[in-house]
Amino acid sequence: MSLEIKNLHVRTEEFEILHGVDLTIRKGETHALMGPNGSGKSTLANSLMGSPAYEVTAGSVVLNGEDMTEADPDERARAGLFMAFQYPATIPGVSVANFLRMAMNACRDEPIKVKEFGQELGANMDLLKIDREFTSRYLNDGFSGGEKKRAEILQLAMLKPQFAVLDETDSGLDIDALRIVSDGVNAMRGSELGVLIITHYTRILEYVTPDFVHIMLDGRIVREGGPELADELEDKGYDFVREEAGAARAADAG
Amino acid sequence: MPADFVEERRRAALEVYEREPVPTWRRSGFWTTHLRGLSLDDLEARRYDAVGSLEELPDVVTDALPDAGELSGLIVQRGASTVHSWLDEAAADQGVVFTSLERAVEEHAELVERWYMRRLSFEEGKFPAATAAFWTGGAFAHVPRGVRLKRPLQVVYLIDEPGTAQYAHTLGVVGELADCSIREYCLAPDFDGQALHAGAFELYLEPGSRARLAHLQDWGAGEVYDISTKRVEVARDAHCSWVPIHLGGRLTKQRLDIVTAERGSDMRHTGLYFTEGSEHLDLFTTDLHEQGDTTGDTVWKGALTGESRASYEGLIQIERGAQNTHTYLQTHSMLLSPGAKGDAIPSLIVETDNVSASHGGTVGEIDEEQVFYMTTRGISRRDAVRTLVEGYFEEVVRRLGDEALEAIVRERIAAKLTAAEEQVVAFTAER
Repeated sequence: MSLEIKNLHVRTEEFEILHGVDLTIRKGETHALMGPNGSGKSTLANSLMGSPAYEVTAGSVVLNGEDMTEADPDERARAGLFMAFQYPATIPGVSVANFLRMAMNACRDEPIKVKEFGQELGANMDLLKIDREFTSRYLNDGFSGGEKKRAEILQLAMLKPQFAVLDETDSGLDIDALRIVSDGVNAMRGSELGVLIITHYTRILEYVTPDFVHIMLDGRIVREGGPELADELEDKGYDFVREEAGAARAADAG
Repeated sequence: MPADFVEERRRAALEVYEREPVPTWRRSGFWTTHLRGLSLDDLEARRYDAVGSLEELPDVVTDALPDAGELSGLIVQRGASTVHSWLDEAAADQGVVFTSLERAVEEHAELVERWYMRRLSFEEGKFPAATAAFWTGGAFAHVPRGVRLKRPLQVVYLIDEPGTAQYAHTLGVVGELADCSIREYCLAPDFDGQALHAGAFELYLEPGSRARLAHLQDWGAGEVYDISTKRVEVARDAHCSWVPIHLGGRLTKQRLDIVTAERGSDMRHTGLYFTEGSEHLDLFTTDLHEQGDTTGDTVWKGALTGESRASYEGLIQIERGAQNTHTYLQTHSMLLSPGAKGDAIPSLIVETDNVSASHGGTVGEIDEEQVFYMTTRGISRRDAVRTLVEGYFEEVVRRLGDEALEAIVRERIAAKLTAAEEQVVAFTAER
């Protein structure tokens, strides 16, 4: 069971952003995708979910052997793919609880029983240290940055996807919130979930240790390795990757 | 004997009516409201016998009414005739008057004369003059000093035949320190053909009183024209929460004014509309502060489908000397089809200093980012769009403060969205 990204080329109306990305995540694995701002990380996350803002011009996204490249976002979600948004949309007039129930029912054949829903919600809110009154607020309406991120992880916990992409979930979190969110993600890790953590910083990786680290630069993955690669990046910064990639390209050209 | 003060006004109003041409309302930009499609001469007042039981009334009325046990009083006017009039005995014992205006003019002449058309004038135009000249039936509510009514007083104006002209006048007075809820529903079943409702509504809140006022208009799919003026005056330290709701009508031209007339008066005004097909809705509201230390809070939200047109203009007016007034107005309009056109215009006239008055207006469409977000949770585009529109209204519906009405509004909006679902989903997907 895997999420395979094969030679993915993605463009906006103006220009191409991803120039052939290959990345395979198997269930049970946690991958980190790192890179400086503008390298294409969020574009990859959004195109994995089928965002209408992007066009896939070549390559494919394959989920458990099924080609999802042309699928609508809701089909991908129902097939087990999830993204925690960097900037989640506000849904006025729809409470957190109602939204969660609607989303869970969309992903299952039989509507969830009220009692079962309440129990799961309670347990996951305890896990993420979220106040009970939170569930009656309109989703993301007037939420602080930290509350939005927690609401994203709460959805992840409730929807139980097979593969989760966390797009800059760590950005804008103070250290306490980062720890709570990381603990939540760690609790969900296991043989039934593949995770792709997208981040600019190595901070979250101190709490959620990845099995694999990929570094993206200018729409390509330029380095791959184990968790030690994140440490190397922490020491040397992105400039070293950039120089290395530049040297490699120069060598190719030569 | 009909009272002289009514007859005199009828005569004077008739002169204005005959003198004035059928109006066309123009405003800057594309907006014009005209009555060229209305065959006024083919309409007539229609008389009906009183009903023995409410079950004899069309479903649009019985569906919208709660059990009698949940009301303090009910008046139903069908066409030109009052066909049902009831007031809870306990309320009557407390001195509450709730009867047709026609009867009140005979039985409570002095009381009616003190208030009748105090803030309405037949000089305002052809249709206000028509209503003042031709009204029949009508409703009169008087809640005396200190009386608190737990359950609403409800008035229903029903048009259930094409060719009907209905001239309606509701007058309400809430005495000092009294507290009550008043509902006025304007309803019609779907029929083929034209009808007119020309309405006048006036409500006076005496010092220290509180009132919750709801107007629900749902004229169905027939060609019902509604040209009405509704005005509420809030006296010293009184509070009025007013919720006008427009859910249907071929053409609606209404003026809705709320006046905080004395110090300490406070109002909250929450409006909602949903237009479809070829409906045309033209609303002008005024939040008028005549004295200082008054407060106001106005929120209007609407959505448009089909080829419908909806214009909302909300004016905040703070008169000279009305210092230390604090008020706020916001209006939003959501376009749900390529053929719909709408505007949302807040405006401001301030003739004094030391006030706070803020306002804002937007016309928008469904936000594609919100749709994408919801679909990434497995929710279909169709359900996402529906949920977003219902959620957009939910913020206003929650302010209505009347559970029975909230249920009607939610159910009607859901039904209208279902009817327009294909075009709404197609419209949001196209962009």
